[in-house]
Amino acid sequence: MSETRVERDVVQLSAKHLSRDFTSRVPGRFVSARQVTHAVDDVSLDLVAGRVVAVVGESGSGKSVLARMLARIVRPTSGALALRGTPIPARAKRDLAYASMVQLVLQDPFASVNPVHRIRHSLERPLLIHGAERTQVGELASAVLKRVSLDSSDRFLDRYPHELSGGQLQRVSIARALCVKPKVLLADEPISMLDVSVRLGILNLLKGLCDDENLAVLYITHDIASARYLADETIVMYAGQVVEQSHGTALVDAPTHPYTQLLIASVPDPSDPTAVSARDASLRIPASASAGCRFAPRCPDAMARCASESPPAFEVRPGHFSRCWLNENDRVATLVAPLTRRKGEPTTT
Amino acid sequence: MRGLALPRSPKVILGLGILGFFIVMTVIGPWLAPYDPSSTAFPALLTPSSHHLLGTTSLGQDIFSQLLVGARATMVVALVAGLVATVLSMVVGVTAGYLGGVSDDGLTLLSNVFLAIPGVPLLIVIDSYLPVNSRSNEFVIGLIISLTGWAWGARVLRAQTLSLRNRDFVEAARIIGESRRRIMFSEIAPNLLPVLASSLLFTVLYSIGAYVTLAYIGLTSTATWNWGTMLYWAQANNAPLSNEWYWFIPPGICIALVGTGLALVNFGIDEFINPRLRAAGLTARQRRQLHLPRRARLGLTPVVSLAPAPNRRSTHAVVK
Amino acid sequence: MSATIPREVQSTAAEGGRASTGPVRDGAIRESVLEINHFSVDYGAGENMVRAVSDVTLRLERSRVLGIAGESGSGKSTLVYAMTRLLRSPGLISGGEVILHVTDEGGAVTPVNLVTATESELRRVRWSHVSIVLQSALSALNPVLRIGREFDEVLKTHRPNLTKAQRRARAEELLRMVGLSGDRLERFPHELSGGQRQRVMIAVALALDPELVVMDEPTTALDVVTQREIIGELSTLRAQFGFAMIFITHDLSLLVELADEIAVMYAGSIVERAGARELYESPRHPYTLGLLNSFPPLHGERRELTGIPGTPPDLADPPTGCSFAPRCAFAMERCVLEKPTLVEVDDTGRSVACWLFDDASGSRVPVELSRVAPRAEAPKGGS
Repeated sequence: MSETRVERDVVQLSAKHLSRDFTSRVPGRFVSARQVTHAVDDVSLDLVAGRVVAVVGESGSGKSVLARMLARIVRPTSGALALRGTPIPARAKRDLAYASMVQLVLQDPFASVNPVHRIRHSLERPLLIHGAERTQVGELASAVLKRVSLDSSDRFLDRYPHELSGGQLQRVSIARALCVKPKVLLADEPISMLDVSVRLGILNLLKGLCDDENLAVLYITHDIASARYLADETIVMYAGQVVEQSHGTALVDAPTHPYTQLLIASVPDPSDPTAVSARDASLRIPASASAGCRFAPRCPDAMARCASESPPAFEVRPGHFSRCWLNENDRVATLVAPLTRRKGEPTTT
Repeated sequence: MRGLALPRSPKVILGLGILGFFIVMTVIGPWLAPYDPSSTAFPALLTPSSHHLLGTTSLGQDIFSQLLVGARATMVVALVAGLVATVLSMVVGVTAGYLGGVSDDGLTLLSNVFLAIPGVPLLIVIDSYLPVNSRSNEFVIGLIISLTGWAWGARVLRAQTLSLRNRDFVEAARIIGESRRRIMFSEIAPNLLPVLASSLLFTVLYSIGAYVTLAYIGLTSTATWNWGTMLYWAQANNAPLSNEWYWFIPPGICIALVGTGLALVNFGIDEFINPRLRAAGLTARQRRQLHLPRRARLGLTPVVSLAPAPNRRSTHAVVK
Repeated sequence: MSATIPREVQSTAAEGGRASTGPVRDGAIRESVLEINHFSVDYGAGENMVRAVSDVTLRLERSRVLGIAGESGSGKSTLVYAMTRLLRSPGLISGGEVILHVTDEGGAVTPVNLVTATESELRRVRWSHVSIVLQSALSALNPVLRIGREFDEVLKTHRPNLTKAQRRARAEELLRMVGLSGDRLERFPHELSGGQRQRVMIAVALALDPELVVMDEPTTALDVVTQREIIGELSTLRAQFGFAMIFITHDLSLLVELADEIAVMYAGSIVERAGARELYESPRHPYTLGLLNSFPPLHGERRELTGIPGTPPDLADPPTGCSFAPRCAFAMERCVLEKPTLVEVDDTGRSVACWLFDDASGSRVPVELSRVAPRAEAPKGGS
């Protein structure tokens, strides 16, 4: 325990300029053309012991590919990973040492536990692979289940996955990741397939692992409210790029990027009964990627410049970055009225 | 795997019964045989009687004894060939499907080559190179037959593996650091059990056909008895023309029955192995009791009243 | 939206009765479009029988939105599939009635009991009078047919007197209504995005101008921005055509914005039914309260939320008393023994199935469940 106390605030896993391209063939009239999609484009982040970083984005924003690159089951096109300051070689076939440090929990609990094996198998395999004694694995597996609040009295180890509910299976998934005693836990939309009433249980479990056991947690989600609930740092991704990044609840409370603002405005919010009529989500159909800002085709605040030049990340406040031309020299205005600027209103640039 | 239970379908029960009968015959047939099948001590061409249930051959051998003794060789070859071919197809199919890339290309090419070569002529060629004493060895013959029978199963299993390899539980196994071999044969393969079982049944069926064909055209040792050699001798002695039906019909019926049994069991494989399929659905009996139509119809959920309802209108089924 | 959908709560006193008119409000009589009485649905029969929907009674008035909230296994989808007789085997309707008040072209209203209806009656009613939009548009649309064919098939079957050109014009008009251009008719489903496909499904559902549209989690597979757009479009379409809607989702906060009335389902039964704002501001059933507390807020201090402990019950082996009792913070001895029924608890037409509100229980209603005023901890705005 005393050892883990010291580890607080240690950067466990750091990613520098990670990018991943996918090439696909677009059938043409005579020959098919190759089209390159930048699924993840130049993303850097640090995962720190005892802290939760949330990545928020829609489907197709590249957030899952990012998680898989960090878990090293998808190879980055470019960029580098460093585990506790030690650079990780780009290509290694099966790296048990890395697997014992970084674990990924997948989105769909019903699909991520092998249906033909008992729960016991799913928990004992990681223990055996990572060097546990065969005589002890049963005990260790029960202990891990206890850490994710699955009571041993229910004999979970001897049950088959189809006998468990979604929430229980997701806990099993998390337990499987914990079996290898990782320092970094990556969770790819861990609650999106679960019932509303058990979601908070999983979020609180992640929070507990982070606070009590000093895990560095990456929480990937499309639900910005849950990111606000859980995260110490929040990153918003759009079309493979980080568009906004900030600490604490600042990102949700005072968003500066038009996409973040739109995302927040789209979340159903019953505490604000007038919201529906006030929000006009009149978006144009997204066009194909151009040289400019990727969000420009859908952006209610787009300017001429946005179509031609890609904005860099501006630091609007200490630790709060926004990739939008509006924030170039518009910091004060943005801070004062982040949610009020709508399409059609003049923008001050 | 997930708790086998007794099958309900009458088809499957009949199929299992037939197969069970022939397996018992394989095991105890040679001991039950009243006479030595090769002994020529009897008068030739006797018609069936209480002494010789199926009569005798033109050499005076007891046909019933030949049928009983011949069951063992036929079934052993079929089972050996079926098992070996299924294991081969699993190894090739799952490896090709999971590894992809060059391994996939190579293994797929190999199975395509074996699919394209007609099986029986290849068997004839291989068989004619065998030393004579191997031709009477059921295991050698079984292995040879399995070589021509694995390719189709490999293709099916490769396709199934392709659909499984990107499933989350496979990815989860990779994340915890599981080795490729274990992912293929401990995580993916058990999920292919219904396909494997079905493939086993069909390769067994194919192997019986192939073995009987080889024996019938005289390529196995004529000294060992199996249903194919019986047909070979019957044919060689013009039994069909001289109306000696008791010589060639019984082995023919046995072959057809084993085939039927295998096909019937295959009907039940999904239900037998997958507990979810078993739980869902109403049995034919329940449907009758509830006055429901025998087949469920899309877009017309049936209405029943299970408890005696106070409302007269709803006490009986109102299905049209 | 606020101009078109009155937010006031309707009393649903007609429960169990055959009255096709509701109570008088604003001087106008609201007609029912759908009445569900004591409706039960089972899966299978005999010892493997699972009761998925038990004794549900609901009423929906013309041009209004009924939201059904519940988790997986609560029976919300089973309810609407069985109601329209679309539920597949081994689903069985085991009791009750579903009356759809069908308005024909002359304006005459005839009640049709869908439970006893024949196949030809159902065929006449479906799509023309009640249509369904499913969660997964990708599996609902035929992948090898162009979008135009989907419209064509529906219009050909139900409007046989239309010419090909008229059908085409109608299809383009329908697509425009949901914010898509007419050239999408030539596309295949895989060429459209998830949101566009769901819009196509909505357009097809509206093709014959039905009185009732059932939406089964139409936006669950979409991201929030697209969901917001589609919800906005649905409001516009409802203002224009005046169809009533049943909207099923697990997202209670979405329903609070969208629906006039909300029914909360748990383990096959309705546990609370109330006007949307009443339900949000003063929940009465402990499960409703727990659900509302399960959504992390977008504003205010960050504080730890607990959600609802435990897991939903196994319908194959339901608890004897209240099915929520094992997870309920306010459970009493009576809750484990007896199953509460849905009863009206106040004059706003709100019904709750909970012993806390039964005088015979001799229990005090906890303060969380007796709020009257709008909740104090619901601050406005983000800045």
